[in-house]
Amino acid sequence: MKNLYLGVDIGSVSINIIAIDEENKLQFKLYTRNSGNPIELVKKGLVKFKNEMNPKDYKIKGVGVTGSGRQLIGYVLGADTVKNEITAHARASTYYHPEAGTIFEIGGQDSKLIIVEDGIAVDFAMNTVCAAGTGSFLDHQAERLGIPIEDFGGLALEAERDVRIAGRCTVFAESDMISKQQYGFTKAEIIKGLSEALVRNYMNNLVRNRVLEGEYIFQGGVAANIGIKAAFEEEIDSEVIVPKHHEVMGAIGIAMLAKRDIKRNNQESSFRGFDLTEEEFETNSFECGDCANNCEVIKVVADGRVIAVTGDRCGKWAASLITDSSTAAALSFNKKADQKPELAESDINKSEDIEVELYKVDLEKEKKVMQELKELEELEEEKLDESDKDEKEDNVYV
Amino acid sequence: MRKKSIGIPRALLYYYYFPFWLKLFSELNLKTVISDNTSRDLLDQGVKKSLSEICVPIKVIIGHILNLDQKDVDYIFLPRFRSLRKNVVLCPKFLGLPDMVSHSLPSLKAEIIADQIDAKSDDIAQYFNHQKLAKTFNIPKREMKKALNKASSFWQRYRNLLFEGYLIDDFSNIEEIEILEKLISKFENSSKPPSSKKEELKIAEKGEVLDIALIGYVYNVFDQYINMDIINKLKEMGVRVHTFSMAAEEIVEKELSKLRKPMFWEFTNKLYGAAEHYLKNDKIDGLIHLTAFGCGPDSMLGQILEVDAKEYEKTFMTLRIDEQTGESHIMTRIEAFIDLLRLKKEKK
Repeated sequence: MKNLYLGVDIGSVSINIIAIDEENKLQFKLYTRNSGNPIELVKKGLVKFKNEMNPKDYKIKGVGVTGSGRQLIGYVLGADTVKNEITAHARASTYYHPEAGTIFEIGGQDSKLIIVEDGIAVDFAMNTVCAAGTGSFLDHQAERLGIPIEDFGGLALEAERDVRIAGRCTVFAESDMISKQQYGFTKAEIIKGLSEALVRNYMNNLVRNRVLEGEYIFQGGVAANIGIKAAFEEEIDSEVIVPKHHEVMGAIGIAMLAKRDIKRNNQESSFRGFDLTEEEFETNSFECGDCANNCEVIKVVADGRVIAVTGDRCGKWAASLITDSSTAAALSFNKKADQKPELAESDINKSEDIEVELYKVDLEKEKKVMQELKELEELEEEKLDESDKDEKEDNVYV
Repeated sequence: MRKKSIGIPRALLYYYYFPFWLKLFSELNLKTVISDNTSRDLLDQGVKKSLSEICVPIKVIIGHILNLDQKDVDYIFLPRFRSLRKNVVLCPKFLGLPDMVSHSLPSLKAEIIADQIDAKSDDIAQYFNHQKLAKTFNIPKREMKKALNKASSFWQRYRNLLFEGYLIDDFSNIEEIEILEKLISKFENSSKPPSSKKEELKIAEKGEVLDIALIGYVYNVFDQYINMDIINKLKEMGVRVHTFSMAAEEIVEKELSKLRKPMFWEFTNKLYGAAEHYLKNDKIDGLIHLTAFGCGPDSMLGQILEVDAKEYEKTFMTLRIDEQTGESHIMTRIEAFIDLLRLKKEKK
């Protein structure tokens, strides 16, 4: 019987489920488009897993969830490890490519750059404000041009001429595309221009002044696009490796992290079991009007039972689930709201206080400086009071 | 006659000067009202009444001013901070703030008191910086000067505590001067070091304690709503947070003197000085630059820090805040940043 670890990546565009064994070998892999109902898709994925694998062959020892929707699905599955996708991606690619120096990761809604030294991530960047230069941008343009996204990359390689398209902003890119089309450039050439624009955008926004070292790994959903891969290779003038399981690297990474956590803490998995595929899940939200924040509180209900509450800034609703007592919830809320700093100090720590000398404050000197400044100030003030008084008053507006 | 009340918006430099103002107004025996903590409602109101392109801290203060107006205050205290050092000004938005407010909010019931602050140091207690206030409440010059001096030395005590390593967060929820006075005396006489200097018990299970310098303006770093409570999030993850307000003036000055030419904006210079100090400090594991989307001065500072962080081999991240209400983007970045620092430390 094999010990398996499930990794689930809830991205904005795709939902991926994988399973690895003790030796990190991939035993199951599923990549699906996120059509907007992650809970149903995860349930379907688990049913598929159940049908494909012989239940006598394996035991689920741990579950990890990553991606932008990790929190909710983490509750639904009873995950052991819920972690961000940057850490998960770095974990998986440094496992498959220990020599990696730079990881380009382009997903549906965001793009990331991870710099690796000696097998560990030392720096990262993530797109900050806009989704131009991500999978969604390509999706949108493919749709405009009427080309299935799967064929998009291959077509770029057929281009004969170069055409420049603005990549900074989707709106500018579109207007550029339309005018270039009207000048007679082919679809293939436009797509090549778009691919180059995306890479340029990535370089400007994420790489900036960083020095990149090989090996170069390219992963995430967009790595399937050979046009983008080619554009990257041209930009950095070096080979770019697309891992075999590039589209599910986040899921693989989180499964590895879950395995590590389980082993490190020597604990049983809190996975809720495959029975959850038969449960009815429901999420409902309401606006809590108890304070001016009007938080959108989200409740996750499994077969009529509330299993998670999230979205409240004060933690009052989340706490109500743990204690299952409204009075306790109200108490904890009040405590937080009226938190007087006087209480805050109340023996938070009884640990040995370790002196860390970070700030060298010479109070005597400080005082002296302040005193001198004050004297100067007073001198000047007196001067001002006498001579410039009228002028000063004129100077004050509003 | 009813006693007239004066409101202070809990925004922008409130976090820097509130002990000064609280003490001053209490010495002058004025009825003081402080706006509520920033909340979704409050920000929504501010957003509706501001220019759409302006940075979020300004939208926040507009919200606070509206909040004070709804509390029926007679006056709103909104000094025009022009300069805190010879030849250096504040961000242009501070310079134009009273005008911006009077034009964006024409139906404001309360009257705005907009004294121009022209000081030569962070101590703003000079009489000429408070003439309008004195005039509005008919305060004799002698009395005003006395109150200003008291407020100034009180503020100085608070500042010394910050330099010792207390966070502005440790004080900024207090609105009553009596409590603030008590707390400051308590901290001054306390033998325990502030939390930024001690090992925390409860985080031991989460791995080694990390020291992170959180570089950002007071109104971004200490407004718990707008930054999604980043300080407490970091603390929960086992981080000792260091901010620019903990770096003593001479440290900042020393670093600034190395710049061929300082920047034009006072607080940007302060952040720079403190950040350089932290970059050189071996005890600091990483730097986070917390900046509001569209901040002009920060576009300079961010670039400089990015380059210098590389030089000192410190891990650096920019965290951008705006009007978002979803927390996932900020959590993902903080989490990844901390994972990275922990891995680096483990490896060593």
